[in-house]
Amino acid sequence: MRRFTPTELAQHHGQDGAPAYIACAGCVYDVSDSFLWRRGRHQARHCAGADLTAALEEAPHGPDLLARVSQVGLLVPPEGATDRSPAP
Amino acid sequence: MAKVAQEMVKRAGVNLDELIELLVTNAAAELTTYYYYTILRANLIGLQGEALKEIAEVARIEDRNHFEALVPRIYELGGKLPEKMNDFHDCSACPPASLPADPTDVQAILKVLVEAERCAVRGYTHVCNVTAGKDHRTYDLALSILHEEVEHESWFSEFLGEGPSGHLMRRGETSPFVGKFLR
Repeated sequence: MRRFTPTELAQHHGQDGAPAYIACAGCVYDVSDSFLWRRGRHQARHCAGADLTAALEEAPHGPDLLARVSQVGLLVPPEGATDRSPAP
Repeated sequence: MAKVAQEMVKRAGVNLDELIELLVTNAAAELTTYYYYTILRANLIGLQGEALKEIAEVARIEDRNHFEALVPRIYELGGKLPEKMNDFHDCSACPPASLPADPTDVQAILKVLVEAERCAVRGYTHVCNVTAGKDHRTYDLALSILHEEVEHESWFSEFLGEGPSGHLMRRGETSPFVGKFLR
Protein backbone atom coordinates (compact mmCIF):
# COMPACT_ATOMS: atom_id res chain seq x y z
CA MET A 1 0.00 0.00 0.00
CA ARG A 2 1.22 3.49 -0.79
CA ARG A 3 2.95 5.42 1.98
CA PHE A 4 2.34 9.13 2.46
CA THR A 5 4.44 11.59 4.41
CA PRO A 6 2.54 14.50 5.97
CA THR A 7 3.84 16.73 3.20
CA GLU A 8 2.54 14.40 0.52
CA LEU A 9 -0.76 14.05 2.33
CA ALA A 10 -1.11 17.85 2.47
CA GLN A 11 -1.08 17.96 -1.32
CA HIS A 12 -4.30 15.98 -1.40
CA HIS A 13 -6.41 18.80 -0.06
CA GLY A 14 -9.42 18.46 -2.37
CA GLN A 15 -8.98 21.92 -3.89
CA ASP A 16 -8.36 22.86 -7.54
CA GLY A 17 -8.98 19.34 -8.76
CA ALA A 18 -6.71 17.61 -6.27
CA PRO A 19 -8.13 14.51 -4.61
CA ALA A 20 -9.18 14.80 -0.98
CA TYR A 21 -7.35 12.48 1.39
CA ILE A 22 -7.44 12.37 5.17
CA ALA A 23 -5.41 10.38 7.66
CA CYS A 24 -6.58 8.71 10.81
CA ALA A 25 -4.70 6.30 13.06
CA GLY A 26 -1.96 5.88 10.52
CA CYS A 27 -4.23 5.09 7.60
CA VAL A 28 -4.93 7.38 4.66
CA TYR A 29 -8.43 7.51 3.20
CA ASP A 30 -9.82 8.92 -0.02
CA VAL A 31 -12.82 11.11 0.77
CA SER A 32 -12.98 12.77 -2.65
CA ASP A 33 -16.36 11.24 -3.43
CA SER A 34 -17.85 11.78 0.00
CA PHE A 35 -20.73 14.26 0.13
CA LEU A 36 -19.52 15.33 3.55
CA TRP A 37 -16.08 16.26 2.21
CA ARG A 38 -17.00 18.43 -0.74
CA ARG A 39 -14.30 20.91 -1.73
CA GLY A 40 -12.04 19.19 0.78
CA ARG A 41 -13.81 20.55 3.86
CA HIS A 42 -15.85 18.95 6.59
CA GLN A 43 -18.18 20.62 9.10
CA ALA A 44 -16.69 24.07 8.44
CA ARG A 45 -13.66 23.11 10.47
CA HIS A 46 -11.62 20.25 9.04
CA CYS A 47 -9.61 20.29 5.85
CA ALA A 48 -8.50 17.38 3.74
CA GLY A 49 -4.80 16.76 3.46
CA ALA A 50 -4.39 16.45 7.21
CA ASP A 51 -4.07 13.88 9.96
CA LEU A 52 -7.38 14.02 11.81
CA THR A 53 -6.69 11.37 14.44
CA ALA A 54 -6.93 13.85 17.30
CA ALA A 55 -9.91 15.63 15.80
CA LEU A 56 -11.85 12.38 15.59
CA GLU A 57 -11.79 12.11 19.38
CA GLU A 58 -13.93 15.24 19.59
CA ALA A 59 -16.18 14.37 16.67
CA PRO A 60 -19.85 13.44 17.08
CA HIS A 61 -19.09 10.14 15.38
CA GLY A 62 -16.57 7.38 15.66
CA PRO A 63 -14.08 5.84 13.25
CA ASP A 64 -16.77 3.46 12.04
CA LEU A 65 -17.81 6.01 9.44
CA LEU A 66 -14.42 5.60 7.79
CA ALA A 67 -15.66 2.23 6.59
CA ARG A 68 -17.70 4.19 4.03
CA VAL A 69 -14.57 5.40 2.24
CA SER A 70 -11.62 3.56 0.76
CA GLN A 71 -8.20 3.35 2.32
CA VAL A 72 -5.52 4.36 -0.14
CA GLY A 73 -2.38 4.20 1.95
CA LEU A 74 -0.53 4.60 5.20
CA LEU A 75 0.73 7.75 6.85
CA VAL A 76 4.43 7.63 7.64
CA PRO A 77 6.65 10.17 9.36
CA PRO A 78 8.73 12.52 7.23
CA GLU A 79 12.08 11.14 6.11
CA GLY A 80 14.57 11.14 8.93
CA ALA A 81 11.94 11.23 11.67
CA THR A 82 11.29 8.35 14.08
CA ASP A 83 8.56 6.04 12.83
CA ARG A 84 5.88 6.07 15.56
CA SER A 85 3.03 5.03 13.33
CA PRO A 86 1.13 1.88 14.28
CA ALA A 87 2.19 -1.28 12.48
CA PRO A 88 0.00 -1.99 9.43
CA MET B 1 -27.32 44.51 13.89
CA ALA B 2 -27.13 42.39 17.05
CA LYS B 3 -23.69 43.84 17.72
CA VAL B 4 -23.39 42.95 21.38
CA ALA B 5 -24.92 39.52 20.80
CA GLN B 6 -22.18 38.82 18.25
CA GLU B 7 -19.51 40.28 20.51
CA MET B 8 -20.49 37.98 23.37
CA VAL B 9 -20.08 34.94 21.17
CA LYS B 10 -16.69 36.05 19.87
CA ARG B 11 -15.44 36.95 23.33
CA ALA B 12 -16.36 33.47 24.51
CA GLY B 13 -13.90 32.10 21.95
CA VAL B 14 -16.27 30.86 19.29
CA ASN B 15 -15.11 31.20 15.71
CA LEU B 16 -18.06 33.20 14.41
CA ASP B 17 -17.43 32.55 10.71
CA GLU B 18 -17.22 28.83 11.36
CA LEU B 19 -20.39 28.86 13.44
CA ILE B 20 -22.30 30.81 10.80
CA GLU B 21 -21.18 28.35 8.15
CA LEU B 22 -22.36 25.46 10.29
CA LEU B 23 -25.75 27.08 10.82
CA VAL B 24 -26.16 27.91 7.12
CA THR B 25 -25.21 24.41 5.96
CA ASN B 26 -27.49 22.82 8.53
CA ALA B 27 -30.32 25.18 7.56
CA ALA B 28 -29.75 24.08 3.97
CA ALA B 29 -29.94 20.45 5.08
CA GLU B 30 -33.29 21.15 6.76
CA LEU B 31 -34.89 22.87 3.80
CA THR B 32 -33.62 20.33 1.28
CA THR B 33 -34.75 17.52 3.56
CA TYR B 34 -38.19 19.11 3.70
CA TYR B 35 -38.25 19.04 -0.10
CA TYR B 36 -36.95 15.49 -0.50
CA TYR B 37 -39.18 14.17 2.26
CA THR B 38 -42.14 15.56 0.31
CA ILE B 39 -41.22 13.23 -2.53
CA LEU B 40 -40.59 10.31 -0.21
CA ARG B 41 -43.89 10.81 1.55
CA ALA B 42 -45.73 10.94 -1.78
CA ASN B 43 -44.26 7.52 -2.61
CA LEU B 44 -45.17 5.86 0.69
CA ILE B 45 -48.12 4.02 -0.76
CA GLY B 46 -49.74 0.64 -0.15
CA LEU B 47 -50.27 -0.96 3.24
CA GLN B 48 -46.62 -0.65 4.27
CA GLY B 49 -46.37 2.90 3.06
CA GLU B 50 -49.54 3.97 4.80
CA ALA B 51 -48.09 2.90 8.15
CA LEU B 52 -45.23 5.32 7.65
CA LYS B 53 -47.00 8.20 5.99
CA GLU B 54 -47.95 10.11 9.13
CA ILE B 55 -44.61 9.76 10.83
CA ALA B 56 -42.77 10.82 7.69
CA GLU B 57 -45.04 13.84 7.48
CA VAL B 58 -44.33 14.87 11.07
CA ALA B 59 -40.59 14.62 10.46
CA ARG B 60 -40.97 16.60 7.25
CA ILE B 61 -42.84 19.48 8.87
CA GLU B 62 -40.54 19.55 11.88
CA ASP B 63 -37.48 19.73 9.63
CA ARG B 64 -39.06 22.69 7.86
CA ASN B 65 -39.61 24.27 11.27
CA HIS B 66 -35.93 23.73 12.04
CA PHE B 67 -35.06 25.77 8.96
CA GLU B 68 -37.41 28.53 10.08
CA ALA B 69 -35.88 28.55 13.55
CA LEU B 70 -32.29 28.66 12.29
CA VAL B 71 -32.65 31.57 9.88
CA PRO B 72 -33.09 34.38 12.45
CA ARG B 73 -30.07 33.18 14.41
CA ILE B 74 -27.93 33.17 11.26
CA TYR B 75 -28.76 36.82 10.68
CA GLU B 76 -28.40 37.70 14.37
CA LEU B 77 -24.83 36.45 14.21
CA GLY B 78 -24.10 38.56 11.15
CA GLY B 79 -24.47 35.81 8.56
CA LYS B 80 -26.85 35.42 5.64
CA LEU B 81 -28.36 32.85 3.35
CA PRO B 82 -26.85 32.43 -0.15
CA GLU B 83 -28.56 34.66 -2.68
CA LYS B 84 -29.22 31.77 -5.06
CA MET B 85 -31.26 28.81 -3.94
CA ASN B 86 -29.12 26.48 -6.03
CA ASP B 87 -26.11 27.47 -3.97
CA PHE B 88 -28.07 26.97 -0.78
CA HIS B 89 -29.07 23.48 -1.86
CA ASP B 90 -25.52 22.60 -2.79
CA CYS B 91 -24.03 23.66 0.55
CA SER B 92 -26.26 21.32 2.55
CA ALA B 93 -24.58 19.63 5.51
CA CYS B 94 -26.28 16.34 4.64
CA PRO B 95 -26.69 14.36 1.43
CA PRO B 96 -30.01 14.65 -0.39
CA ALA B 97 -32.65 12.24 0.96
CA SER B 98 -33.32 11.05 -2.56
CA LEU B 99 -36.02 8.59 -3.57
CA PRO B 100 -34.51 5.09 -3.89
CA ALA B 101 -34.15 3.48 -7.32
CA ASP B 102 -37.20 1.36 -6.56
CA PRO B 103 -39.78 3.81 -5.22
CA THR B 104 -42.06 0.97 -4.12
CA ASP B 105 -39.39 -0.38 -1.74
CA VAL B 106 -40.59 0.95 1.59
CA GLN B 107 -37.62 -0.53 3.45
CA ALA B 108 -35.29 1.36 1.16
CA ILE B 109 -37.23 4.57 1.77
CA LEU B 110 -36.95 3.96 5.51
CA LYS B 111 -33.19 3.60 5.20
CA VAL B 112 -32.99 6.93 3.38
CA LEU B 113 -35.08 8.52 6.11
CA VAL B 114 -33.06 7.12 9.00
CA GLU B 115 -29.73 8.06 7.40
CA ALA B 116 -30.95 11.61 6.88
CA GLU B 117 -31.88 11.87 10.54
CA ARG B 118 -28.57 10.36 11.64
CA CYS B 119 -26.69 12.98 9.66
CA ALA B 120 -28.76 15.65 11.38
CA VAL B 121 -28.12 14.18 14.84
CA ARG B 122 -24.38 14.28 14.23
CA GLY B 123 -24.59 17.79 12.80
CA TYR B 124 -26.46 19.32 15.72
CA THR B 125 -24.38 17.42 18.25
CA HIS B 126 -21.40 19.14 16.69
CA VAL B 127 -23.06 22.57 16.90
CA CYS B 128 -23.91 21.90 20.54
CA ASN B 129 -20.32 20.89 21.23
CA VAL B 130 -19.03 24.07 19.60
CA THR B 131 -21.41 26.38 21.47
CA ALA B 132 -21.87 24.73 24.86
CA GLY B 133 -21.07 27.15 27.63
CA LYS B 134 -20.13 29.84 25.09
CA ASP B 135 -23.03 30.81 22.86
CA HIS B 136 -26.04 30.12 25.01
CA ARG B 137 -28.66 31.14 22.47
CA THR B 138 -27.32 29.05 19.61
CA TYR B 139 -26.75 26.17 22.01
CA ASP B 140 -30.38 26.34 23.15
CA LEU B 141 -31.53 26.38 19.53
CA ALA B 142 -29.24 23.55 18.42
CA LEU B 143 -30.17 21.44 21.44
CA SER B 144 -33.87 21.94 20.79
CA ILE B 145 -33.44 20.83 17.19
CA LEU B 146 -31.26 17.93 18.31
CA HIS B 147 -34.04 16.68 20.61
CA GLU B 148 -36.42 16.45 17.68
CA GLU B 149 -33.85 14.91 15.32
CA VAL B 150 -33.09 12.21 17.87
CA GLU B 151 -36.78 11.41 18.03
CA HIS B 152 -36.98 11.28 14.24
CA GLU B 153 -34.08 8.84 14.12
CA SER B 154 -35.70 6.73 16.81
CA TRP B 155 -38.99 6.49 14.96
CA PHE B 156 -37.45 5.38 11.69
CA SER B 157 -34.99 3.07 13.43
CA GLU B 158 -37.83 1.27 15.17
CA PHE B 159 -39.74 0.89 11.92
CA LEU B 160 -36.63 -0.77 10.50
CA GLY B 161 -36.75 -3.21 13.39
CA GLU B 162 -33.38 -2.15 14.76
CA GLY B 163 -34.63 -2.47 18.31
CA PRO B 164 -36.56 -0.39 20.84
CA SER B 165 -35.51 3.23 21.02
CA GLY B 166 -37.64 4.37 23.92
CA HIS B 167 -39.93 6.68 22.01
CA LEU B 168 -43.65 6.69 21.41
CA MET B 169 -45.53 8.36 18.62
CA ARG B 170 -45.56 12.14 18.95
CA ARG B 171 -48.83 13.37 20.38
CA GLY B 172 -49.96 16.95 20.39
CA GLU B 173 -48.47 19.74 18.32
CA THR B 174 -45.43 19.32 16.13
CA SER B 175 -42.07 20.74 17.19
CA PRO B 176 -42.52 20.45 20.95
CA PHE B 177 -38.91 21.61 21.49
CA VAL B 178 -38.34 24.01 18.60
CA GLY B 179 -41.80 25.58 18.80
CA LYS B 180 -40.62 28.28 21.19
CA PHE B 181 -38.38 29.68 18.42
CA LEU B 182 -41.23 29.93 15.95
CA ARG B 183 -43.36 32.62 17.59
